[in-house]
Amino acid sequence: MTIVVGYTPDTYGRAALQHAEAEARERGERLVVVNATSGQSLVDKRFAPESDMAEVEARLADLDHAVRHEVVPDVADAVLKVAAEEQARLVVVGVRRRTPVGKLLLGSVAQRVILEAACPVLAVKPD
Amino acid sequence: MDLLLEGFQTALTPQNLLFAVLGVLLGTAVGVLPGIGPAMTVALLLPVTYSVGPDSAIIMFAGIYYGGMYGGSTTSILLNTPGESSSVITAIEGNKMAKKGRAAQALATAAIGSFVAGTIGTVLLVLLTPTVADVVVKLGAPSYFAIMLLALFAVTAVLGSSKLRGFVALFLGLAVGLVGTTTGQARLTFDQPLLADGIDIVVVAVAIFAIGEALWVAAHLRRKPLEVIPVGQPWMSKADWGRSWKPWLRGTAFGFPFGALPAGGAEVPTFLSYVTERKLSKHPEEFGKGAIEGVAGPEAANNASAAGTLVPLLAIGLPTTATAAVILLAMQSYGIQPGPQLLDNEPGLVWALLASLFVANTLLLVLNLPLAPLWAKLLRIPRPYLYAGILFFASLGAYSVNFQAFDLGLLLAFGLLGLAMRRFGVPVLPLIIGVILGPRLEEQLTTALALSQGDVSTLWGEPVAIAVYVVMALLLGGMVLRGLRKPEPVAEAPQGGPESPESTETVEVGR
Amino acid sequence: MTATHTPPTAEETRPARLVDKAQYGLAAFLVVVGAYTLYDATTLEDGFADQPVQPYAVPYVVGAVLVLLGVLLAVATARGDVAEAEDGEDVDLSAGSDWRTVGLLTAVFVLNILLIDWLGWAITGALLFAGAAGVLGSRSHVRDLAIGAALSVGTWYGFYVGLGIPIPAGVLDGVL
Repeated sequence: MTIVVGYTPDTYGRAALQHAEAEARERGERLVVVNATSGQSLVDKRFAPESDMAEVEARLADLDHAVRHEVVPDVADAVLKVAAEEQARLVVVGVRRRTPVGKLLLGSVAQRVILEAACPVLAVKPD
Repeated sequence: MDLLLEGFQTALTPQNLLFAVLGVLLGTAVGVLPGIGPAMTVALLLPVTYSVGPDSAIIMFAGIYYGGMYGGSTTSILLNTPGESSSVITAIEGNKMAKKGRAAQALATAAIGSFVAGTIGTVLLVLLTPTVADVVVKLGAPSYFAIMLLALFAVTAVLGSSKLRGFVALFLGLAVGLVGTTTGQARLTFDQPLLADGIDIVVVAVAIFAIGEALWVAAHLRRKPLEVIPVGQPWMSKADWGRSWKPWLRGTAFGFPFGALPAGGAEVPTFLSYVTERKLSKHPEEFGKGAIEGVAGPEAANNASAAGTLVPLLAIGLPTTATAAVILLAMQSYGIQPGPQLLDNEPGLVWALLASLFVANTLLLVLNLPLAPLWAKLLRIPRPYLYAGILFFASLGAYSVNFQAFDLGLLLAFGLLGLAMRRFGVPVLPLIIGVILGPRLEEQLTTALALSQGDVSTLWGEPVAIAVYVVMALLLGGMVLRGLRKPEPVAEAPQGGPESPESTETVEVGR
Repeated sequence: MTATHTPPTAEETRPARLVDKAQYGLAAFLVVVGAYTLYDATTLEDGFADQPVQPYAVPYVVGAVLVLLGVLLAVATARGDVAEAEDGEDVDLSAGSDWRTVGLLTAVFVLNILLIDWLGWAITGALLFAGAAGVLGSRSHVRDLAIGAALSVGTWYGFYVGLGIPIPAGVLDGVL
């Protein structure tokens, strides 16, 4: 079985990755790390730099894993698509606190993944 | 001096100060934002000039001009994406410094260097403009005609890598300038009454700068986000100050004269400054790896040349950069004709502008040093909104001139032309300058020949005119010689060819 | 590692003599503009007695030079001259050109021109913004329309009240 984790290079993403990694190690499952951007702004701090992704790779070296680091039309769709392709057992996302207005303006990748994923979703908050 | 003090009184009224702050903030913002430059911003803001007083509008534009320079250097350093050719050199060392964790120092030396250079440049501007205007005002129409020809020639042939494309742009601009009934007969109006007054230059400028650029970017959007280097509060250590102040002054010395020349621009002086600093530096091994001198010098040269370009603009009425051209349009929309008479006709306005340059410069330093981390956040604006916004404001600007859908059609037509020009590497500046100066050239020719009652020899009857034609002949001769030295310019040559001899030549000058 | 080396090699292996066919279009455009300018000049009559420069003098020069430049550009193109397309802060030339987006943007703009007299700026401005944002890749159309409407109505009032420029209200006359 496979676990898919939506990763961002911040505390939320790291918390999600940590939980997903622990889960995968415990059960000996495959782990797919997704870090995507819509590429709509010149700078997207949620799109991990190559160096950061290399660190993630190194950390998961001994696991059966894959890394999807790509530019896509829509980030939530990308996570959902990977989950469908991999027939994931579980999707892990980091969630942040956001006001209703903020959610309206900025949308929420995590919310869409939680609502639209076909499998269970683990929503992780950083400690 | 009294006049300058009066200028400060105008510039420091609460309302004008507000416009200066607005201009500086707006200028920096657009300098930071990808794809928008100061020329485009001033063009988009031209409609505002219809209802705000001339002094307020010009003061705001001065702020945008200086602010845009500053903002451009910020992105060069943090992202290695020089928005304008003048900040290419800053990006070389600046981005390397940022990668080594010295972004704060790079930003600080750029900002303080810009302030120093801008202030010295503005002092020189204040001293020079009246003198130059006094000389130019005594010139007759033939000399004036010759100087305008020189400016057109210089902007077209000296700048840019392909002379042929420069002339293509210039003559397209001249053709656009012909449209209308100024000579008493309808020229190129296609029997269209809406074209009788000519094509509104505002529409042309907005189309070429804003629509053309937005469409061009839309065809080539970078999709992968760039890595921005995080930055804290800009600051410099004592050692950095010690290494920066001489490059600032030398950069200013390079930048101002080149800016003041009809075809100087900012590329050559920034490059010269860089080469000089590399030669004089006590740490030559740091060059190419993030030497602070390599940021301080070129950045000062860049801003000093911006001040320099205002000399021909205010004293002769000649725009030599895109932003200066658009500022000239703004003045014209008030019925103010920049030129040698400007200082006599509108002393209040000119001195207010000069004083506001000092104000803008100081504001830049005071506001932007603490705000640098904030500006970096602007880069997160989604591009669909950025470019949709440009199209929106461009349409609004063109429509608000006459409330004619026809103007929007013109806007689109010239926007597509601007897109094609970018696709084929045709520079846009000669076109705009051609549209502006074409009709004035014809006017001066008419005046000269009317005075001489049709005797053509009057055109070279003044010493200044002769001198200018000699300069032009020398420039032309130099171009031909350079062309001969490099036989068979086929295939790859037209691409890299015309550029590389120029740069090697400047290296020689630098040494 | 290999990825960093791909772009330069792609450049090098490009055929040395690449004729940019589209550039003939630009050359033809120049010739047409020049020729029309010349034709237009022939229709002009002699100026008044106080006009030492005949109204057709400058057009003849400009038209003739444009035709000449068009021919020169065509020759240069045939000899392998390739345009050095303008690079920029937000332009990625390596990825090729996306003319579909440009076409769609032009269509949105034409729609704005056709509708503005009838619907007025407050409506077409919002459509222009939302349409352009959508074409450029924005996914949230409702938000685009909301921002567009806020901008267009805001600028309409801003111009009307703040700047004293009465932009025609179109179909919303009396509502705004």
